[in-house]
Amino acid sequence: MIMKTITSFALAAPLALVALAPVTASAQEFSKELIDKGRYLATASDCVACHTNHAGGKPMAGGLPMSSPVGTIMSTNITPSKQFGIGNYTEAQFADAVRKGVRGDGANLYPAMPYVSYSNMTDEDIHALYAYFMQGVQPVDEKAPETSLPFPMNIRASMMGWNMLFRPNEMHKDDPAQSAEWNRGRYLAEGAAHCSTCHTPRGALMQEQKDLNLTGSQIGPWFAPDITNDKVHGIGTWTQEELVTYLKTGRLDHRAQAAGSMAEAISYSFQHLTDPDLNAIATYVRSVPSANATQASAPTRFDQGKAGNELAAFRGRNYAEGIKGDQAGAALYTANCASCHGYNAQGTTDGYYPSLFHNAATAGDNPTNVIAAILYGVDRHTKGGHVFMPPFGDQPNTVNALSNVEVASLSNFLLKDYGNAKLTVTPEDVQVIRQGGPSSQLVLFARIGMGAGAAAALIVLGAAVWLFRRKRAQTQTAA
Amino acid sequence: MVTKNSADVVIVGTGVVGVVIAEQLLDAGHSVLMIEAGPRVSRAEVVENWRNAPLGVKGDTSVAYPPRPWAPHPTGAEKPENAYLQFTGPDAYDQTFIRYAGGSTWHWAGTSWRLTPEDMRLNSLYGVGRDWAFDYDTLEPYYVRTEHKLGICGPSDRAQQWPQTGARSADYPMPALPFSPGEVRFTDVVKTLGYNNIPVSQARNSGMPYDGRPACCANNNCVPVCPVAAKYDAETALHRLEKKGVTLLVDSVVYQVETNAQNKIEAVSYYDQHKQSHRITGKLFVLACNGLENPKLLLMSKDDRNPNGVANSSDQVGRNMMDHPARSFTVTTKDPYWSGVGPVVNSGIMQTSQGSFRSEHAGAYFRYNNFARNRFVTFAALKKGLVGKALDEEIRRMTACTADIVAAHEILADPNNRLTLSDKKDWLGLPKPSIHYDVGDYVRKSWEAYSQPIGKQIAEAMGAVDIKISPKFNNSKHIMGGTIMGKDASNSVVDVDCRSHDHENLFIPGGGAMAAGACGNSTITMVALALKAGDAIVDQMRGA
Amino acid sequence: MTRQSNDPNGKLMMSRRGMLLSGATLLAGSMAASLCPGMALAAVDAGAQSRFMQLSNLLIDHRLNPDVGARIAETATGQYTNFAGMLDAIIAIAEKKQAKTVEEFFGDIPEGELKDFAHWVIFAWYSGCSSEKRDAKVFTYEEALTFKTTSDVVTIPSYGISGPNLWTRPNVPLSAPMPRF
Repeated sequence: MIMKTITSFALAAPLALVALAPVTASAQEFSKELIDKGRYLATASDCVACHTNHAGGKPMAGGLPMSSPVGTIMSTNITPSKQFGIGNYTEAQFADAVRKGVRGDGANLYPAMPYVSYSNMTDEDIHALYAYFMQGVQPVDEKAPETSLPFPMNIRASMMGWNMLFRPNEMHKDDPAQSAEWNRGRYLAEGAAHCSTCHTPRGALMQEQKDLNLTGSQIGPWFAPDITNDKVHGIGTWTQEELVTYLKTGRLDHRAQAAGSMAEAISYSFQHLTDPDLNAIATYVRSVPSANATQASAPTRFDQGKAGNELAAFRGRNYAEGIKGDQAGAALYTANCASCHGYNAQGTTDGYYPSLFHNAATAGDNPTNVIAAILYGVDRHTKGGHVFMPPFGDQPNTVNALSNVEVASLSNFLLKDYGNAKLTVTPEDVQVIRQGGPSSQLVLFARIGMGAGAAAALIVLGAAVWLFRRKRAQTQTAA
Repeated sequence: MVTKNSADVVIVGTGVVGVVIAEQLLDAGHSVLMIEAGPRVSRAEVVENWRNAPLGVKGDTSVAYPPRPWAPHPTGAEKPENAYLQFTGPDAYDQTFIRYAGGSTWHWAGTSWRLTPEDMRLNSLYGVGRDWAFDYDTLEPYYVRTEHKLGICGPSDRAQQWPQTGARSADYPMPALPFSPGEVRFTDVVKTLGYNNIPVSQARNSGMPYDGRPACCANNNCVPVCPVAAKYDAETALHRLEKKGVTLLVDSVVYQVETNAQNKIEAVSYYDQHKQSHRITGKLFVLACNGLENPKLLLMSKDDRNPNGVANSSDQVGRNMMDHPARSFTVTTKDPYWSGVGPVVNSGIMQTSQGSFRSEHAGAYFRYNNFARNRFVTFAALKKGLVGKALDEEIRRMTACTADIVAAHEILADPNNRLTLSDKKDWLGLPKPSIHYDVGDYVRKSWEAYSQPIGKQIAEAMGAVDIKISPKFNNSKHIMGGTIMGKDASNSVVDVDCRSHDHENLFIPGGGAMAAGACGNSTITMVALALKAGDAIVDQMRGA
Repeated sequence: MTRQSNDPNGKLMMSRRGMLLSGATLLAGSMAASLCPGMALAAVDAGAQSRFMQLSNLLIDHRLNPDVGARIAETATGQYTNFAGMLDAIIAIAEKKQAKTVEEFFGDIPEGELKDFAHWVIFAWYSGCSSEKRDAKVFTYEEALTFKTTSDVVTIPSYGISGPNLWTRPNVPLSAPMPRF
């Protein structure tokens, strides 16, 4: 199963739940044009990526497990099934779910659902989405598995406090100083396309750090890189056309390609958007500056490394011996990777198999994506075909179940010979990525916090009781 | 319930037949224990073994698969006095097979020709050989399942499909692969002679990933190993089977099949690499070592109840050894062909395998060998003493202008083509197999009267300036026969589900069961038989 | 349609002529040594190594990888007792002729030991092996020159050449130019 990864989640004191009785949805008929508009917006919002279990599940029927630093969240059935989906939702309830993260029964959604981003959507667009979900999606009368996070995260009402702090609740407003294209781009990028959900680093309470907008963030086993217009750390060296090409096809030759969640975003969402919308998104994203703006020219993650090999050190010698020695990384590369990526890491001339030099995957500021690509492979459906690199982890279809030591060795070879030679990878680093990425201490802190709070409450209570008894005794004595 | 030494079903051999049946049984909820004589080896190591081998021996597939002492398989390097297979008779039954976890599909080309309805009725139609015990229509659904299980690609155009007779009840899951320039030219040339060079049905991911494995990237290395697992091989199933709960014992050589007082199979025993014996019990047993190791094991397992060997009341175990005797035409052409783009076997002429002449002599299938030619021509070019530009041009010319056409013949089931136990012993002290083999007049007559003339005609039409013809029949490494199928228990070893006639809880599916092999590579039929046997086993276990 | 060469090499190879006849062999030698970090070159010193590359570049008018050259030289040192002497002798023949291509001086190499050795060097680079036999030493597979003569059409077996089903290419006539390597 594809494990989606989210980093946002809740922390606050538990409050009482207020259950709302579901209200029957109106039975109005929506026009085809409205449903199509809603379908397009749903594509732009990439609902299907999370709300479908891609290992054979039906579209929008939920059941996709998403690994978060605090536990696994299961996506819900949002087909118009009346029994197991949202078939009974009024438009107001639908709007609250999408923009406020509040379910039809009044319970809070976890910010795995990017309602924080979708909160900018206009009423008009919500109306179209509603039409699509009510009449454009096949109802699936199957219950999706429930989410159960560890205590205290399982108390959904704890989201209310978090939402008070971190949910904007502001519908999009055009900035009159900017072009129509920029405004459209901002509406989509900050809203439906929810770029910041992955590309913006998060704080201790798992909220997006707005001042570091789009400067990159760990997202489970992958790293969503800096996409500000910084020329060194971001994509400031890309042209408008290049960014549009990347969003449309999932790759930019000799620069970068999409894997993990971004591959899904390309497959299910970006490649289906219109050229004007892609250009609008590109216009907006390319205007986003970096808080860590750097010097005008320095090496970027797109221009590192060159063609070459270390074959002469081990060709013609025994392989099993070779991978125990100094050339282990090079030998592992040749044996496992070079058949597709070339013996000089040059890829194929048609670019289907990319070169591993001049490739952001091997030259980022951290080695996460090298390790993740090796362990998980790449899976991307585009109009040009299905781009597929098999995994080398422990999956049933692994080509070769490489150990942590082997992946570290291979990663270090790739980084040194073709990428960011300043980075090194340890087997422990590999294990973290193998487990789905760094985990969060948040559950522990929450429990400690609650424990401390409870202890404090008990002390106060105990003191109150003692005082009360003492007072009573005094009163009695006085009598 | 699986313990270390018992399971519901015990499968000997982890090649394509073994892994397919294992998965059927695991999916049906049974415990499965598989015993493999050889080692578990990574794809990376096999690929590098081959790359590390000298250019001059890269034609010997065994260089990528050095055998372990306890699980010998034939190699090109072995000295004749140490050879594993012993030969008698006019023709050497010299084979290549791989005793590693994953079996011989590690190195097969992936070629997957179905039998035709006529191939399965040789005796009724042409008065020669044996009929199969069931007809093409019975086998056809299993062919479909095989094509989807392994991921076999082929053309959707009916005129390009094989067989031309007989139904194809489902499309291929993937389209045919593109031809090399050589194959394009070859197709045009043979068309002028009235022959249709059609895309090979092959177990290779065409244009897309399939079954979690990547698409073919034309690295032209299918034989001896696909570096990326775009070609199906049984190794790709092993990790998945482990996740499904199979118990897999490797480096474990089964040497005895043990019967009980009711003459059912009670256990198998194996030697580990330290020559220690272990015994594995089960409810039902499958021998999946193909048509050479299966009969050898059965003959080694003779006991009082079965004095000629287990499953051998018919005396047919080890008999009817078959292959596809082959001759090659190495053609040097005036104008370039350019083999070597795409997979190594990608197209061929099958229509020449069919016809009423089969009452007189064998049919033949002409395949275009699409191996890159550099390693075949470099030494000859260097031997000419050329240097500089002349050397470059000679190598380039010969790479472009040589091609290899192979005529593969069908052979009749002949009980005198027989595997017995020799008195030579292997490292474990087990008898080495001896095979008496004669391709027979049926094949020799075909070569004289039919396939050689056609081959020469094709070579001339290709614009040959030189034709080298192989001096004798080589083996295609398609081991068939040895545990032949039939309805009559007195002249066959297994029934229509590859169940031993003698022991109801013993199944022997695979090439050994084939009553006739026609001209096309046998693996797809082996797997169809495996699926059929697997269905029967699941039914039988349900009733048990 | 034009075919791009599949051969990607570039930056590892040193240029042929300019370095050699101008006496920059020391530079070549030190480059060769520095490009072969963890390799056992105990049998061949840097001087013989650079002479071997010089000879190779005289006999073969192509870019040659000094790392592969080091491997060949290693075997040659063991195989030919007069290795250093033969290097000098053939280089001298080429220099005497002021040969710019192998064709200009190869005929002047006397039959016998020297000519056999020259042929062996060419054999080693083109086939990547020390002989045709089963026990041959393997110096390179990927960079064997035989594959470079046809790199525009045919792959080095075990290395992919295109995305899925994208390998259709024209039947290149013999008159088409040899790939540059």
